[in-house]
Parts: sequence; C-alpha cells; structure tokens
Amino acid sequence: MLINNGFNEDKIQSPLRYIWSIFKSKSIAVVAMWLVILLIFAAIFAPHFVPHSPLAQNSDKMLLPPYWVDGGDIDHILGTDDLGRDTLSRVFHGLQFTFGGAILITFIVAIIGMVIGASAALTKGIKASILHHLLDALLAIPSLLLALILITIFGPSYYNCLIAISLSLLPQFIRASYLAIEQELGKQYIIALQLDGATNLRLFRYGILPNILEPTITVINRLFTMAIIEIATLGFLGFGAQLPQTELGSLIASSMELIYLSPWLVIFPGLAIFLVIVIVNVFAEGLRHAVIEGEE
Amino acid sequence: MLSFLIRRLNLLLITAFILTIIAFAIDRSVTIESDLTLSEQPNYFFQYLSYLFNLLDGNFGYSSLDNQPLLTRGLLFFNATLELCFSALLISCLIAIPLGLLAGLFRNTKLDYMIMTVAIVGLALPVFWVGVMAVLLPSVWGDVLPVDGNLSLIYDVPTVTGFLLIDTLLVTKEYGLFAFFDRIAHLILPSLVLSFFLVTEIIRLTRHSMTMVMRSNYIKAAYAKGFSRRKIVFTHALRNALPPIIPQLRLQLSTVISFAMTIEIVFNLDGIGKWLFTSLKAGDYLVLPAGMLIITGFILFFSILVEIIMVIISPLRRGSLYVDK
Amino acid sequence: MALLDIRNLSIDIETAQGKIRVIDKASLNIVEGSIHGLIGESGSGKTLIAQAIMGLHNNNWTVTADRMFLGGIDLTKLSQKERRQIMGKEISMIFQKPSSYLDPSQKIHTQIKSVLPKQTMKIRIRRILGKIRRVNVQSSRLQMKELLHKVGIQHDISILNSYPHQLSEGVCQKIMIAMAIANNPRLIIADEPTTSMEAVTQSQIFRLLYKLNQLNNTTLLILSNNFANTSNISDYMTLVYCGQTVESGSYKQIITSAMHPYTQALLKTMIHNDPSHEHKGELYTLPGNIPSANQLPIGCRLGPRCPRAQRTCVENPSVTIKKGHSFRCHYPIKLS
Repeated sequence: MLINNGFNEDKIQSPLRYIWSIFKSKSIAVVAMWLVILLIFAAIFAPHFVPHSPLAQNSDKMLLPPYWVDGGDIDHILGTDDLGRDTLSRVFHGLQFTFGGAILITFIVAIIGMVIGASAALTKGIKASILHHLLDALLAIPSLLLALILITIFGPSYYNCLIAISLSLLPQFIRASYLAIEQELGKQYIIALQLDGATNLRLFRYGILPNILEPTITVINRLFTMAIIEIATLGFLGFGAQLPQTELGSLIASSMELIYLSPWLVIFPGLAIFLVIVIVNVFAEGLRHAVIEGEE
Repeated sequence: MLSFLIRRLNLLLITAFILTIIAFAIDRSVTIESDLTLSEQPNYFFQYLSYLFNLLDGNFGYSSLDNQPLLTRGLLFFNATLELCFSALLISCLIAIPLGLLAGLFRNTKLDYMIMTVAIVGLALPVFWVGVMAVLLPSVWGDVLPVDGNLSLIYDVPTVTGFLLIDTLLVTKEYGLFAFFDRIAHLILPSLVLSFFLVTEIIRLTRHSMTMVMRSNYIKAAYAKGFSRRKIVFTHALRNALPPIIPQLRLQLSTVISFAMTIEIVFNLDGIGKWLFTSLKAGDYLVLPAGMLIITGFILFFSILVEIIMVIISPLRRGSLYVDK
Repeated sequence: MALLDIRNLSIDIETAQGKIRVIDKASLNIVEGSIHGLIGESGSGKTLIAQAIMGLHNNNWTVTADRMFLGGIDLTKLSQKERRQIMGKEISMIFQKPSSYLDPSQKIHTQIKSVLPKQTMKIRIRRILGKIRRVNVQSSRLQMKELLHKVGIQHDISILNSYPHQLSEGVCQKIMIAMAIANNPRLIIADEPTTSMEAVTQSQIFRLLYKLNQLNNTTLLILSNNFANTSNISDYMTLVYCGQTVESGSYKQIITSAMHPYTQALLKTMIHNDPSHEHKGELYTLPGNIPSANQLPIGCRLGPRCPRAQRTCVENPSVTIKKGHSFRCHYPIKLS
C-alpha cells in the first residue's frame, strides 16, 4: 500500500477521537444520536411547542381517532381522549415525565453508584465486607418490589417514585461497577501504577476509568432502560405520578377502561416508551461497538 | 466440596440475617400508626429479637383483611408466580438459545443483525403494555386463548401445592385432564408476554458467550486439526458456550419476578404480585415484609442451587474452587 | 526435493484504516526431512505466514500467491473440504501457550481420541475378533498410550483423565505435539513452541522436536523470535522482517556468509564470549524501531533503519539466489 502522506506520524489520534471517528462511520448510530438529542430537547421544551395544553378539555371533540383514520381531525394528529384532551400533547408531556425522569435517575444513580462501587473496590477489609453483604441482601429483592416498599413508606407521588426507583436500581449499579473495577484491578498495568505510588484517585482516573468505558456504557444503558420501564410500570400501577400529571404509564392506566372503545389511547403512549428505549439502545450499542473497536 | 457448601451456607445465613433486619425495619415503618401490640418491649433491639423468633417460628403475622396467616397465603400465591416464571423461562430458552447461538456463530452477518433487532425490540417493549395489548387480542382474533384469571371458573380445584399445574392433575377424578389443559391455556399468553424480556436477555448472553468461544484458541486449534465446522460447533463450542449462561440467568431471576408481578396484575392472575397489589390498595401493609421475605428467600435458595449445579457440571469451576483455597 | 514451495505470498488485511499489506511477497522453500527455522521479531508476520499455509484465515484476509505447493498439492486451489483433508493429516500445527489451545471442558483423553485416525468398521471388527482370539490388536487406548510415551509422558493414565487446566504448560505442549503427530503428518508447523516456558522445559521440547525429525523424518517448520535458540537445531533458516522474507539459506550459509544487512545486524546482536568485545563497550542494535503495521515504508521495509540503504531502496528488491542461498537486497554485504 502506498502512503502518500509524508507527515503520517503527526496524525496519531487520541483514543477518544479515534472512537469518535469509528462512531461517525456507523450511520445508524449517528442517526440514533441525533434522535436522542432531539428527544432531550423535546422533553425539556415540550410545553412550548405542543399544539394544545395537555389538560385542555374539549367537549366537542371527544375520543377522536388519529387523523389518518376516518373521522380524525388534523388539529389532533393522534386523536383525543374521553375528555377531548389532545393525545399528542399528552404523550409529549408524558415524555417529559418518563424520559426526563429516567435520565435524571440514570445520571444520579450512575454518579453515586460509581463512587460507592469504586470506593468499595479500592478499599479492603471490614467496610468493603459489610457493603458486600448488604448488597447481596438488597440485590435479592426484585427492584419493583423494593420500589413498592419504598413508595409505601414515602407515600405515592411522582418525585417519591423517582427516589424509590433510584434507590432500588442503585444496588444493581454498584454491583456492576464494582465487578468491572475489580476485574480491572487485577491487571498488570494497575499493579505497575500502584508500584509507581499512585494514589487511589489517580489510579481510578488514569488507570481504571478509561478501561471500564465499555462495561460502563452497557450498564448505564441497562440502567436507563430499567428506569424508564419502572417509572412507567409504577405509573401504570398507580404508585407513581398522580392524576393530573401525564406520565406515560399512568396515561395507559387511565385509558384502560376505554381500551375497546379507543385502543389508540393505549397504543400511542406504549409506542412512545418503546421508541425511546429503542433509540437509546441503538445509540448505546453503537457507542459500545465503537469503543470496543477503538480498543482493539 | 463440603467446605465449599459450608462457606456458601454461611454467606447465605448472613444475607438472610440482613434481610430480616430490613424486613423488621419495613414492618416498623408501616405499622407505626396501626398497631403497637408488638412494641411492648423497651427498645428496638428486643423488638427485633422477638420479631426474629416469630419469623423462625413461621409466624409472619396475620393479614388485617381476612386474618389469614401471611406465610401460608403468601407461599401459595408465590407458587403460582413461580409457575408463571418457569413456564416463561422454558419458552424463552427454547426460542432464545438457538437464536443466540446462531447469532454468535454468524456474527456480523445479516442473520445476526436480524436476530439482534428482534432482541432490542423485545427489550424495549414495556412488559405491562404488551400485556395490555395481549388482553386486546381476543377482540381481534376471537376467543382463542383465555386472557383472564388462572383457571376457568367452572373448575373447582382445591389448593394443595399452589402450583396449579399440579393441583389440576390431582383432580383428574372429577374433570379428567380438562382442568389441566385449561390451566395450560391460561398460562400460555402470560408466559409468552413475560418471555419477551427473557428472550432478549438470553439471546444476548448466548450470543456473547458463543462469540467468545468461537474466537478462542482451542477453536482455532480444532480448525487446524481439520475438523468440519459442524463438528467443531457441536463438540467444542456448545459445551463451552452454554454453561456460563446459567449463572448469568440467575442474575435475571429477580427482574423476571418483578415483571411477573406486573403481568399478574394485568392478566388478573392470582399470584404474589396481585396479592401484594390488592392488599396494599386495601391498606394491609404487613404483606410487604412477608412478601419480601418469601421472594428473597426463594432467590437466595435458588442462587445457591445454581452455584452447586455449576460446580457439578463445569470442570473449570471445580478447578477454581481448589485454587481459592 | 522441496516439500513446501511458496513463491511470492502476499496477505492483505482489511482494517478500519483500509487495506494493509501485512505480508509482502514472502517466499519459503522447505526441503523434505529438514528442520526449517522461520525467524523474525514478534509482529513480523511469521504466524500469519503459518496460518496462510494452514488455511486458517479470517474472512477479511486476502491471500495471494504465485505458487503454493505442498508436495504435489496446490494449496491455493483447494476447496474447503479438500483443505480439511490435508489439515491435521498432512500438515499439523503446534501453538504457543498450548494450554489455551486445548478445550477446557473436555478431558485430554477425549481430545486425543478425536484426532486419532478414524476407526473404520473393519478395524473395529478385527479388534473384537482379536479380543476373542487373544491377539493384541491395537486399540485406541493403546494408541494413545503409545503416542504419549513418544512425547515423553510416562504416567499416561492420570494425564489422560485430567482436564487441561490441571496440567502445566510443558505437559500441555507435549500433548499438543502428541496430537500433531497422531496422523504422521509430513509437515509440522511449530509456532513459537517454547515461549513462556522454563528453560528446562524449553530444551525438552526442542529435543523432542529434533528427535521427531530424526526418527520419523518429519519435516518441521519452527517459528521463533529467538535466533540463538532456534539456530542450534535448524538445518535451514528464513528471516522475516515486517512481512518480507529478507534472507534464506542453510544454517552454515546464514551464520558464515550473511548477505542481508538485517541478518548481519541480528548476528551482531547475539552476545558472544568474544574477547575482542571491548569491556563496557556498547552492544550493537539497529537504529530505530519496527514501524507499526499501518505506517509501513514502501520498497524494502528495512530501508529507514538500514545502514547500507540508498536511493534505490524505495523499490522492492528482487530475489537473488546463489547456491540455494537467497536474499532480497540491492546492496548485499559483499564477502571480503
């Protein structure tokens, strides 16, 4: 192969940039990335651009089907519910609660979990042992049950539901990050760093963090998926967002009686959840593959 | 082997002990207003001790709704949940393991992408929503499969084990096998819905495990010996790829039970999820610690079981046991 | 007569940066019944050449060769099935880190049995008849025992009943060798068979390979990065640098009259008990580093590091052959 560029050695890329250049070459992942950004914007600015208020009732237009079905109205693209409220606006507002809440949970749990997991992996002795056993016990409780217990104690509301889900997902994340770091700690270059006299903080920042990128992406992706499903599930069961709040799960629950009359009301919020999870998963998978290829 | 068992049991006891503390804490925090009969003892420590002795005695408290002992009720309901979980596990293993193996074998081909797309779809569909959609099915396809309840109401089956599949077999004198088939028909849709999530998980695990094995050196060596691809897959790859999936599956158990609880509520099945849900809605909070102890007890027991099985079937694990010493 | 004749073998690998020519017109000529050393630094492409001979390529490789003959068989024109007939029967391979090349979930017993020649119905019937008549017909058990004894393992029963992770690297390598010679192949390729082993085990393995060559007249191709170690037992040697075969010839030719600057440099780097070597004098090395695979120089790949390089070296030199001693260099070291 002929190399025309005489100054080739100037272009040794940094690992992050290399990963980015691989990621850019995967068109599906890039599309997913833009969609994720779009979703975040939609979640933040939903109230400003949806055509109707999610609570505005309209007794003239009740239970409209989507506009492409006979009897639909272009004004209400996805139809209306039994009080004439616009489904599209409600779904976008629901996105704000469900997607926004899930991102918040992911963010908080990832930071706290990483800190606890790292400190558990880097310290030895009785502290780590206690944490270990506590984690074992907490991990045996299904996260939905744990969330239910916490909500029963706190009382049902949207914010309590977020707190409960964060707490119920935290043990899983701590365990996952702990395992990843533990695995990394056994490697030779970490021992070399330790012999250099690196402090724990330095060890974590330069030795461990760059090398656990791939498992971390997987775990965070999983965390996000579980968070979104649990917010929706608790909303559906009536333990999460309370009535005027249009969380996607509670939207489904409130339209359950109308399911034979107007199945659209159940289908669209579910599809919204589905699409959000698919988009984020495709994005995360693309990122993960880029990281794996970059490391190879 | 014996020392390994003792060590595992030791860990189990500590974990169970922590769980009783958690249960006690829940018990205290939900019953503070309702009844103070238990808190005659001077401080929390003695209260906990009496609570623990009650638990060891098999006394998990009584339901405030119907005054039934919580332990027996909970166990019966939990057995129904387990039935659902294991039938879902069976279905999803049958579907997912071959798919995962294929995806791992033909990595980065069209077949692989197709299977992984199916897997992502399965993960992204919220279980309760799929359940709701499945309940809609009869209105579309007609009355093919029942979507409501554990069993048709015409059968009067006495509860013996809680596993309805067994209970219906016990009443063959009255109904023949009809009750049993009716139960299976009632189980199919919920298990299918539950297996959506499991299929995804198992496909991913199997695929990953299979790719790792196919990349390994001994597969290369087998190629170098001139073995055919089919022989390599069946004699070397499968034996090494399948066992590591089992402990991974165990980690999914608590998630599966979570989803099973949701599905019970959607399909109106009698199980621990619905029991907890209805009791909580009716204000009977004591079911929470009892339900938690039953579920976690099972999960702990099950994980020990899996570990023992792994040690028995996998020579490598057996080897690492001795290394630990 | 040449057992393996490879002329101008090139391998291109598809990577994220595009196609890279990792092996550039390598030629290899192995005389039947000899031990041939293929020597080069790690990453120089020895293993790739061996894998190309075996046909163990991945999908993203393109292998092209002017000629690639094993005895009378053209290796480039084989179908998958025909190639499988050859692999393990005509050519077999021994790897470095042998324990990872044995299936961890099967006992040694099962693994050796799987490479033994297929038991045809005739042999089975003869064995059963032999049992009745109390005539000793070779059973697979006996065959295995014999194989293990050949590679110097005495307590065969305990070894046969263990799993690979219970055995040491040296024993694993012996088992690999036993499996390689099970079908009496004509050529055995040994890919750095002694890396990461103790010195005693290393010499054991080398002695074993040497004995195989002497007793069975098996041709051996030994891949190694250790010039001193391999040169002791090799009849012929080929040196590889960055995917190009730089020089090849008999042991004596290479040692006494190296023509290529790279060979010369390698010989100089060997530490002799040479009284002429000055006390505290500098040890000789070639200047510079091995170029990375995506930034290979054009022409002769030694070019930038070569002490004798001149302008014409940007073109790939052609092969010069003198009395079976071949080299690729524009400015070979003249014999004084």
